[in-house]
Amino acid sequence: MWYLLRKLGLLLLTAWAAITLNFLLPRLMPGTPADAAIAKLAQNGPVDPATRAAIEAQLGVPTGDAWSQYVQYLGNVSRLDFGVSYTFFPQSVSTLVMNALPWTLVMVGLVTIIAFVVGTLLGVLAAWKRGTWLDTLPTLGGTFTSAFPYFWTALLVVFFLGYQLKWFPTSGAYGLESTPNLSLAFISDVIGHAWLPALTILITSVGGWILGMRNNMINTLGDDYVTFAEANGLRSRTVAVKYAARNAILPNLTGFGLSLGGVVGGSLLVEQVFNYPGVGYLLYNAVTNQDFPLMQALFLMLTISMLLANFLVDLLYGLLDPRTRR
Amino acid sequence: MIDGTRRTRTRLTSALGLGLVAVLSLSACAAPEPGSKTGTAGSSSLMLAADNGSPTFVKNFNPFVIEKRTTATIINEPLMVVNALDGKSTNFLQTNYTQPDAKTIVSDIREGVTWSDGEEFTADDVVFTYNLLKEFPALDSTGVWSRLESVNAEGQKVTFTLHAEDSSAPIIVLAVPIVAEHLWADVADPATFTNESPIGTGPYTLGDFNANQYKLEKNPDYWQADKVAAEQLVLPAANSQLDIVNNGYDWAYAFMSDVENTWVAADEGNQFWFPAGGTVAIAPNLTKAPYDDPNFRKGMSLALERDSIADNASEGTVDAAGQQGLLLPTQAEWLTDAIPDEGMVTQDTAAAEAAFAEAGYTIQDGKLVDADGNQATMTITTPNGWTDWLRAVQEIQKQYTAIGIDVKINQPQPAAYFQAVQNGDFDVAMTSFGGNGSVYQGYYNLLSSDFLQPVGTSASSNYQRYSNPEVDAMLTEFRTTVDEARQKELAGELQEVMYNDVPVISVYYAGLWGLFSDKSFTGWPDADNPYMTPTPYTSAALVILTTITKADG
Repeated sequence: MWYLLRKLGLLLLTAWAAITLNFLLPRLMPGTPADAAIAKLAQNGPVDPATRAAIEAQLGVPTGDAWSQYVQYLGNVSRLDFGVSYTFFPQSVSTLVMNALPWTLVMVGLVTIIAFVVGTLLGVLAAWKRGTWLDTLPTLGGTFTSAFPYFWTALLVVFFLGYQLKWFPTSGAYGLESTPNLSLAFISDVIGHAWLPALTILITSVGGWILGMRNNMINTLGDDYVTFAEANGLRSRTVAVKYAARNAILPNLTGFGLSLGGVVGGSLLVEQVFNYPGVGYLLYNAVTNQDFPLMQALFLMLTISMLLANFLVDLLYGLLDPRTRR
Repeated sequence: MIDGTRRTRTRLTSALGLGLVAVLSLSACAAPEPGSKTGTAGSSSLMLAADNGSPTFVKNFNPFVIEKRTTATIINEPLMVVNALDGKSTNFLQTNYTQPDAKTIVSDIREGVTWSDGEEFTADDVVFTYNLLKEFPALDSTGVWSRLESVNAEGQKVTFTLHAEDSSAPIIVLAVPIVAEHLWADVADPATFTNESPIGTGPYTLGDFNANQYKLEKNPDYWQADKVAAEQLVLPAANSQLDIVNNGYDWAYAFMSDVENTWVAADEGNQFWFPAGGTVAIAPNLTKAPYDDPNFRKGMSLALERDSIADNASEGTVDAAGQQGLLLPTQAEWLTDAIPDEGMVTQDTAAAEAAFAEAGYTIQDGKLVDADGNQATMTITTPNGWTDWLRAVQEIQKQYTAIGIDVKINQPQPAAYFQAVQNGDFDVAMTSFGGNGSVYQGYYNLLSSDFLQPVGTSASSNYQRYSNPEVDAMLTEFRTTVDEARQKELAGELQEVMYNDVPVISVYYAGLWGLFSDKSFTGWPDADNPYMTPTPYTSAALVILTTITKADG
């Protein structure tokens, strides 16, 4: 119980620090939202001097000193009211986040889980059968693919599988003429559009899980209690899974918790390349447009889910490894 | 795979049956779409890259706000549309306008026009729209009420009274999209109104709207419906360069790398036109030494090899700009004879060194040094991620380094760049000017001391902080006179100022990136017939969409 309380207290303290930092960081960026809006217009040619006044009037750029803004911000956060976005004026930040979140959660979330499960299993297998092709293939392959940058893989995939072979649609989360609903046709449309981005994330992330799990596993396999279990004549499956893998998975689990927490941040580059309407793309828009309200909401969501994921992993640790409970 | 349909169209007509089967089976095995005109081979639907989702479309057809669907300016017509290339205008909701004196504009409102909901369009709608902008300054993005005193209707005539004599006002004042009084009068806050079922007088009305693509359908009751060739406009949200090359657009607006081998090679009939839409210049901070010395600025101008900068910036698709401050060739009629070579400055290292010497800088050991022997240093500020500008700056850096200046490049994020430039927090900044169709307005925004602010305070224009009472007097006279001959004389004098006083150093023209296909429609603007800028995200689209005709066959 004390363990749980201590972890909870830490969670609250970190959350407050994160919320405050979250208020400060966007304001430390040079330039105002109006500057950003003009910058966007200016890419199409010189901007009329009168435009600036209209933009400032439209956006209602923040007033008051930093302290009163901070107090107001804390109040709004506690009510989960993040105001109106500058970039997508006059839409509210909550609507924007709620529209983007499901796409990211389903696509990136599922792929992260699949990559973790597949990677970890392959890692266990590679360590158990080390020296055979079951080891060399995933290990070498994993080293290779995990060195690919996200965007580069994404560009290759979209160019060859999308534009050249035309096997998959190249952008968006669903077809040009469909409107989100719960029909079977729409869901299959969504799955069709998720293939390429999912494949990209899978390719670039599965290698890390394989390597991590294999290395932990090899260490554990050298431990005395594993040798003892083998000497006792236990079945090799039991030794591999119940003795070695259960202990070896702990560091990987921390990593998994962090990646799950990071899922809500979306996959910025992949979403950019595939025009996927997820949180990553939203975050990109928020940052490039000095959209303080949107940025605050997204960073906050990201930090809170990161903290929660960590907290849950900590609890899980307690279950998996009794030593941490002390 | 539908772009395959488009590509095989000629074969389709010759071997109809066989081709059709092949195309059908191909589309069956391929993914559905991407970004194509579904089953419209040879149809009169026009696919347009004019509006980019980020990444999807939000339904906002309020024509006055920034975050609008750009086609709101096709649905809601203005009184007239101005060609930003030469300042010539095309009438839409007016039949004519006159300037009885430099303080008054009288517009004859077009009769027999109806809104797309059937209501009649009247002069009262025009007055209502202007008064809406007065009441809600957030909607007035071109600043018409900084010029207007009042707007009144009398029968079919609307009279605009200006604060001050201003001959340049019509092209800005008469370009406001007009909205219907009977629909907008009850809107509580027009600045946040998203106008989801737009009603306009324009050639198109809103059709199917989806987050990834929407359509505009031809308005059958449009007052010049016989001039509208395309029955439907299709606007996808994703318009990457790969999409544009692969998906068979009729009209796209995008800078395309290696345009001859990408866009032009992609399909028969693909063409491009990149006219000058503004001048890219480097603005020296005139409040700082040595840039406050015109001789030093002259040296900076003479030291540049502008052609190679233009080539580097935009792969040879745009030209070097002269030091006269005009868009050539479209504003050629304004050129003065008083400056040599139509204001073009060619690299002349000897002359540049002589100019620098006048400013007190001499060459020692390959370095440009002042009287104390300190090397001249310069930081050029340019927005991060604007790669064409960056390539130009890198070439400028190379050329200035060759003459002995120590040049650094500062690349803040675009928003930070604008803040720095507006506050005068720079040595030399990349910037652009002109390109709104008015020679006067170009010079006014660039040179007028009306915009002058001390360093540290945000200036909305004239970032280099130029101040010259003689120039202000010329600008005032230019604005107040309606005598065209006198306007040309004044424009000539301003060109001499640009050439001799070098308030900014013009480098090359910023292109407008028009990509067209002749397959379904012809009559696009081009260098031989520059009747409109190729910019589909502005009212310019109204002129082009009512000019193009269906291609034969």
